[in-house]
Amino acid sequence: MKSATVKLSSSRSIFALALVCALAPAHAAVSRGFSQLLDAVVRIDVREVTFEEGGKHFSAGIGSGVILTADGLVLTNAHVASPRAVEINITLASLEVVGAKLVGWDHWTDLALLRLDRDEIRRRGLKFAHAEFGNSDKLFAGETVYAVGTPYGLTRTVTRGIISNTSRPFEDPHGIDGYETGSFNTWLQTDAAINPGNSGGPLVTEDGKIVGINSRGYAGADNLGFAIPASTAQPVVAGLVHDGSITRSYIGLVPGALRDLSSFYSVALNVGVLVNSVDPGSPAAKAGLRVGDVLLAINGQKVDGRFPEQLPPIQNLIASQPVGAALRLTIKRGNDTHDYSVMTEKLESRIGEEWAFEKWGLSVRKISRSDARERQLPDETGVLVIGVQPGFPADVAGLSRDDIIMKIGQQPVNSLETIKAAYAAYEAKPEPMLLEALRFRRVSLYILKP
Amino acid sequence: MKSCRLLLFAPVLLSGALVRAAEIPALWAERVKAVVAVEFYVESESERRPALSYGTLADDKGTIILPAAAVDPRVAPDQLKDFKIHRAGEAASIPGTYLGEDNLTGWHFVHADPKLLSGLVPITAFAAKDGAPSPVPALAEEVWGIGLRNKDEDFMPYILMSRIGLIQSLPQRSAIALHEVAAPGLPVFNRDGVLVGLATSSFGQSYLQFSRPDRGASPVILVNVEESSVFPLAEEVLPYLGRIPKSVTGRPLAWLGAYGLEPLDPDVAQFMKLDSQGAVVISEVLEGSPAEKAGLKDRDIIVALDGRPLPRLKPSSVVVGYVDRELARKLPGDQFGVTVLRGSSERIDAKVTLGDEPKLIRETSRKYFDRLGLTVREFVYGDAVALRVKTGELTGVVAHFVKPNSPAAVAGLHADDWIREIDGVEVKTFDQAVGRLAAIEADRDRTDFVLLVGRGGETAVLRVKLK
Repeated sequence: MKSATVKLSSSRSIFALALVCALAPAHAAVSRGFSQLLDAVVRIDVREVTFEEGGKHFSAGIGSGVILTADGLVLTNAHVASPRAVEINITLASLEVVGAKLVGWDHWTDLALLRLDRDEIRRRGLKFAHAEFGNSDKLFAGETVYAVGTPYGLTRTVTRGIISNTSRPFEDPHGIDGYETGSFNTWLQTDAAINPGNSGGPLVTEDGKIVGINSRGYAGADNLGFAIPASTAQPVVAGLVHDGSITRSYIGLVPGALRDLSSFYSVALNVGVLVNSVDPGSPAAKAGLRVGDVLLAINGQKVDGRFPEQLPPIQNLIASQPVGAALRLTIKRGNDTHDYSVMTEKLESRIGEEWAFEKWGLSVRKISRSDARERQLPDETGVLVIGVQPGFPADVAGLSRDDIIMKIGQQPVNSLETIKAAYAAYEAKPEPMLLEALRFRRVSLYILKP
Repeated sequence: MKSCRLLLFAPVLLSGALVRAAEIPALWAERVKAVVAVEFYVESESERRPALSYGTLADDKGTIILPAAAVDPRVAPDQLKDFKIHRAGEAASIPGTYLGEDNLTGWHFVHADPKLLSGLVPITAFAAKDGAPSPVPALAEEVWGIGLRNKDEDFMPYILMSRIGLIQSLPQRSAIALHEVAAPGLPVFNRDGVLVGLATSSFGQSYLQFSRPDRGASPVILVNVEESSVFPLAEEVLPYLGRIPKSVTGRPLAWLGAYGLEPLDPDVAQFMKLDSQGAVVISEVLEGSPAEKAGLKDRDIIVALDGRPLPRLKPSSVVVGYVDRELARKLPGDQFGVTVLRGSSERIDAKVTLGDEPKLIRETSRKYFDRLGLTVREFVYGDAVALRVKTGELTGVVAHFVKPNSPAAVAGLHADDWIREIDGVEVKTFDQAVGRLAAIEADRDRTDFVLLVGRGGETAVLRVKLK
């Protein structure tokens, strides 16, 4: 408790210094908007459950967030607060701490929405401000911006920098605790100091408008920070408020930048995007799309994917089509141009639901449809072993991380429920249980012994 | 020093050791005539790498056997050049010819003109006499063998000596000595000078350690590549000395088509009441294979071959080698009885008519394009299996070698990439690919060309710039 007090006071003095330096040359920043923004920024303490090493474990982390509405919606990063969170505490500008619940998350854009505990707010008569979005599309490289957040637990830290780049493409298939991110948006790059703990805090202009949500930086680099643009965040916030999740469409087409291949494919400059890969078994594959095709238009709307920066918007165009809709793709193959009809599917993460069977010392993750495609499995049967606890039955049997359990007894593992049922039977009456698992395409049998 | 040690042990272990010890130098001088050092080159696109192995004379017709590890299995026979055979202790050499690898023993066979080998003695001369069974050394029995120094010392022979620590089926009956007893590929003898085995590659001495499933916890060990402490017994050597490959590729090779044989863990075997024998799971039955035609299925558990139950071997992973060896004894067209368990209770006796092993990577045609910096080879059945594509249509070629910093390498091509299209046109056969690449290479005005390649489950379009 004492150390916490020390921490707070020291962070306050840093805050004060930053304000002095920042404000001396730029008087516009003392606007009412900016001070209101400061009152809307919060610290977020999250305790979450993980299913690693064969058991349920809890871990704690600190992030930042910004209050968006008078009824207490808080925007932060998906890597700060995910559905794994079991306890979320928010420190308001008044330094009062209040509980919050997850409204929804979207790892693709690294955003999560929380709601402050309204009963508690009312009961304790807590006050807070809320901030507004600015227009991130109007930002220019060199424009002054401020990052506000909780770097290394230093509550309410303001740092100042400029927009270094307005549209940095950055896709990471494992970026959010193994979940995919960055396929559908570009990022704002800034040199405002962003450190661990800044995650989820706002990047704002001098008038206190949110233009981005700070998300990540290059470790070890000097001030290469990245934020999700407000233009990406606003529709995601609306979707999360409405449904608790964002539904996107998937067709299984992996685009590639044409760069200087335009002449090779005999397409005009700044027209078309290369089909770099087609997921096996995906709607695009079923429709007959092939690698090396050039996609010219989607539903008649021309696409231009000459440079990597242009690919996320094209991916987003596909993703924002309704699920189950027929897309008309205009494809150039050799000298021929044809339209293909592709039926969209619902986009799913590669990461399936996770669980731990503690008496077996076994933690697993359901094989998802896209995981099955990636691993070239015939279907979605099976659960992936994500951890075993040394000395427990799963470890003694010889199971290890990355094995895929296909059968338990003679029962194919079609869902987590199958294995949960077997575990319940084991808990009731411990008896040896036969498992079949795949390891790099090789089938082995294992016995879980009490 | 050595005699001191013998003296010390003599009263305890070996009565009469003193008498016999005096004979060993004479026995050794005679048996050194059965061994040679074999030099050769492994030639690739960018280099010519010298290799050295040790060999044992198998007969009086000039046949020499080298251990399995003498040649990297990925190397094609036509890359092996300039075999030179040295007698122990002699700088001069005579030329040799590579005959191929025997699938069952793994030995590589080399031939030399027997006239030029005069004075050398085949190893059979030191086998048990008059049809007597080969002696099996007892636990703690003293055995000795021959090592050869390096080229700078004219491959001078020296003696190695140790005691038997363990005799184990791996799956060949093999002795593991306490220390190194011979150079890999060279014979081991008992105190009477009778052949008791042929040292295997020095990797064998760490076999048990490396076979452990939890290798991660094992300490890193240094492997002595010049000397070995493991040797299959003479009974596993003498009957096979005549298995000279009929072709340099080792063909004919029998093919079953059961992929990913995995041993049954002892606990699982006990659970399935198979603890008195061995068993292996077939992970996948390959498309179009003899196993598939005979009705075998993925996940069948092999429990017997030709009616004989699989033996219970330790560790259980050794049984996979046993199955491979039983198959290697057969020829294409032979009947192979494979008894499997399926599901919880079904027992099926399948009669497989073995096929001809599909073309192996080491047998593929290859072509190097120096200006492009790339060797392509045929796409074969094994590639299709590895990539999980239909094995019926083998199209495209494989980048077998990509020269560092060449145009192909700069474009991002990797070795083992599957080249599906060249300049937007599908590659159906190896000849097509070679024709197109040759035309590109010959065209000095060409500024670039485009490859469509597959890598794992992914594909990429690569532009190779030539100017």
